[in-house]
Amino acid sequence: MTTAMAKMSDYAFVAAMLSTGLATLLYLMYALSGLRAARMQTAGGPESGGALGFVSGPRTAAIGRYATIVGWLAVLAMFASLVFRTIATGHGPFANMYEFSMAFAFGVLTAYMWFERRYHQRILALVALPVALIMMIYAATIPADIEPLVPALQNNLLLTVHVAVAIVAYGSFAIAFAASALYLVQTGSGPTFLIGAAAGLATGAGFLITSGVGEAVLYGIAVSLAAYVVTWLVRRFVLRSDADATEAALEASGGRWGLPRPQVLDEIGYHAVVVGFPFLTLTIILGAVWADVAWGSYWSWDPKETASLVTWFIYGAYLHARVMRGWRGTRAAWLLVLGFEATLFTYFGNYFFGGLHSYAGLG
Amino acid sequence: MTHEVGSRPLSKAPPPAARPAAKPSAMDYVDRGLEALWSFLTSMRLAMVLLLALAALGVVGSLVVQAPQGVLDNPSAKADFLAEVRPKYGGWTGLMDTFQLFQIFNSVLFKVLMAGLTISLIACSIHRMPGVWRTITKPRLDVGPAFFEHAPQHEAVVVRHTPAETLAIVAGVLRQRRYRILSADDGTIHVYADRFRWALFSGLIGHLALVVILAGVIIGAYYGYRDSNFSIAEGSTLAVGAEPGLSLQLIDFTDSYYAETGAPEDYASQVVLYKDGNEVARHTIRVNDPLHYGDTTFYQAYFGPAAVMTITDASGNTVVDEGIPLAYSAEGGRRGGIFLIPGTAYTGELVSTLGNTDPDIKPGQMQLTLYARDTGSVVDSQVIDQGTTATVGDLTVTFDRESQFTGLSVSRDPGVMLVWLGGALLFGGFALRFLLPHKRVWARITPRGKDGAVLAVASLGSRDAALGTDFEKLVSDVRAALKAPARA
Repeated sequence: MTTAMAKMSDYAFVAAMLSTGLATLLYLMYALSGLRAARMQTAGGPESGGALGFVSGPRTAAIGRYATIVGWLAVLAMFASLVFRTIATGHGPFANMYEFSMAFAFGVLTAYMWFERRYHQRILALVALPVALIMMIYAATIPADIEPLVPALQNNLLLTVHVAVAIVAYGSFAIAFAASALYLVQTGSGPTFLIGAAAGLATGAGFLITSGVGEAVLYGIAVSLAAYVVTWLVRRFVLRSDADATEAALEASGGRWGLPRPQVLDEIGYHAVVVGFPFLTLTIILGAVWADVAWGSYWSWDPKETASLVTWFIYGAYLHARVMRGWRGTRAAWLLVLGFEATLFTYFGNYFFGGLHSYAGLG
Repeated sequence: MTHEVGSRPLSKAPPPAARPAAKPSAMDYVDRGLEALWSFLTSMRLAMVLLLALAALGVVGSLVVQAPQGVLDNPSAKADFLAEVRPKYGGWTGLMDTFQLFQIFNSVLFKVLMAGLTISLIACSIHRMPGVWRTITKPRLDVGPAFFEHAPQHEAVVVRHTPAETLAIVAGVLRQRRYRILSADDGTIHVYADRFRWALFSGLIGHLALVVILAGVIIGAYYGYRDSNFSIAEGSTLAVGAEPGLSLQLIDFTDSYYAETGAPEDYASQVVLYKDGNEVARHTIRVNDPLHYGDTTFYQAYFGPAAVMTITDASGNTVVDEGIPLAYSAEGGRRGGIFLIPGTAYTGELVSTLGNTDPDIKPGQMQLTLYARDTGSVVDSQVIDQGTTATVGDLTVTFDRESQFTGLSVSRDPGVMLVWLGGALLFGGFALRFLLPHKRVWARITPRGKDGAVLAVASLGSRDAALGTDFEKLVSDVRAALKAPARA
């Protein structure tokens, strides 16, 4: 029974991975098709009918619909996988990084689909789905064995809720990140963001091959942050590019390359944090309750606790910054990028700092 | 977060009168200084800078090895700790210690930032209180005609009703939606309606919740205590140091492991708690199942081997007859425990080993060293085989058998309830904010012609928020209630 359920979970997981991959591809085609249509429009050409005789307008919409359907399939498959896994193990998905990464991917997928339903901005998928896909691929590479719970984790209800609440927060923050990334690439900060992100990803990939996930995430984040700052300084003081002017022009024109209007992305980012922040708060509180029951102290400055508090501070600062008029747009988007990097730092924290959360079966 | 900054309706108030050009007195400077200080404390920029600075410290704290609590206050423990981390940080170690990087969350900078954040939180809450109160009790009805053209959401309708009739219709629609309606008539009818106005306190509750949590933390730090080294061997009873009259007896400790993986399955300490010699509680303490008694809580923390010893003094009195926890581990697989030998002038140190290569002690043996309690000098030291009796100093010592001890963590934290209360308030603030959001609508009814009027309705908040669709529904309901046909 247990093995059968575990098998079902594995199959569903593979199905989820394949459909997420396919959905990512479809969303990419959707974006390219939309970009073509946008170009046609700006070039003054007919709204439908491209160089190869494509009818790009309706075609774009059709691809988008398929992408959405496949995206929901991925959500369903991932949900099924989690349910089977829970039946097989007898507890929520919190016992090791494999289970938690499945839950993270599910959170990002679901948050994306929910935001797509609400805001009709399929372009967000270009950032959100790869994040989910990377989490799934990562989960697929680590041991998935079902092992009985060590004493500290024998608190099924509390930990299941803790993780469930955490994935809502993480999923929302991934959406906020997607919105801010798409915002930044359209503004004068675009090159800075892309150079920083590319440097971070390249460093991460390098360390992934030579060392491990912990180093990859830690140095990837550090290098991307450093690259943001350096690129910004160079562009500001050496190249003397004027980001503000491009931004003003952008607001007036309303979006580049067929991407959503910056104002809309700004709103989506804000709403994602408005959803995610209370859930992060609850995650931290529930974590503290568990720590108090299991270890006799609600707060131990364990590195993972600390990192989650750092993330909380950053999103707290964002929410306060956002209501000050000057902090909409570019600067707010940068805070969201910082917030998501802190989220990843929190998530992968146990790899590089051990501490009380080092249970997670990484040996 | 119900921040109203920058979103309040435009003010019609005249610009503040220019200050008289008289020479400012000393009091004026004090006044201005205080004003500047207040606006500094209540500025959101300060709160943000503090939050981000705390976040930065947190990053440092999670990357740099942190010394366990109390270690840096004890010179010899501190030297040990620094020696331990020196290979990792090299020449930076001394500098990092100077800047308190090994105890970030106890550092002066951290405390200053936390204090600053608390002051800023309290100042902001006080600062915002009158505004919130005014919005709840005396909202402004006349927001000026410009508002109805520039508000994020606005509609204007020409109606074939008298202003009074229009007011009745609009009020009817709003009342159906359980809005509170206030109106004033100065030729033009000004209408203000809102719902869930008490939810405006949610921001205040959420922010003060943090102050409550911090208060709990501080109370816990000053009035609570924690003993993380409460080791009892099976069969022994140990007095709880900080709680006079309270003592705990360990009946049995079990550690069990999963057969397939060898991973730990359960640590269980079966204990009896005595108050002034009377049994008050009996419990099996597990990792997720502590024993609570009054304010005091006993948690499972660690465990290890113990040695059951019988010690008789020179005149034949049995002074020790119980398990001695070997709670500390030393190099070469050695484990040791230190205990007082009552009725004598000695402190005993019991050491065992797991290593086969130990030059002095073999597995299955115990080395007992007696120290004079006053001078600390070694009186005698003997290695004793299990089940045998030896003479150490003037004592007769039998190493009866090996057993186990459990390591508990005993704590009393009177602040913890405040922390949970703060947590609940924090989340409650969010829930209130999102489940019952404060909604506001303004309307302006101006007479037009003989029996007509112009109805303008406006609301704050962006169109795609939940409020947006709400506003649109409201307007269409009002339209439906008006006498058709009405031109926009």
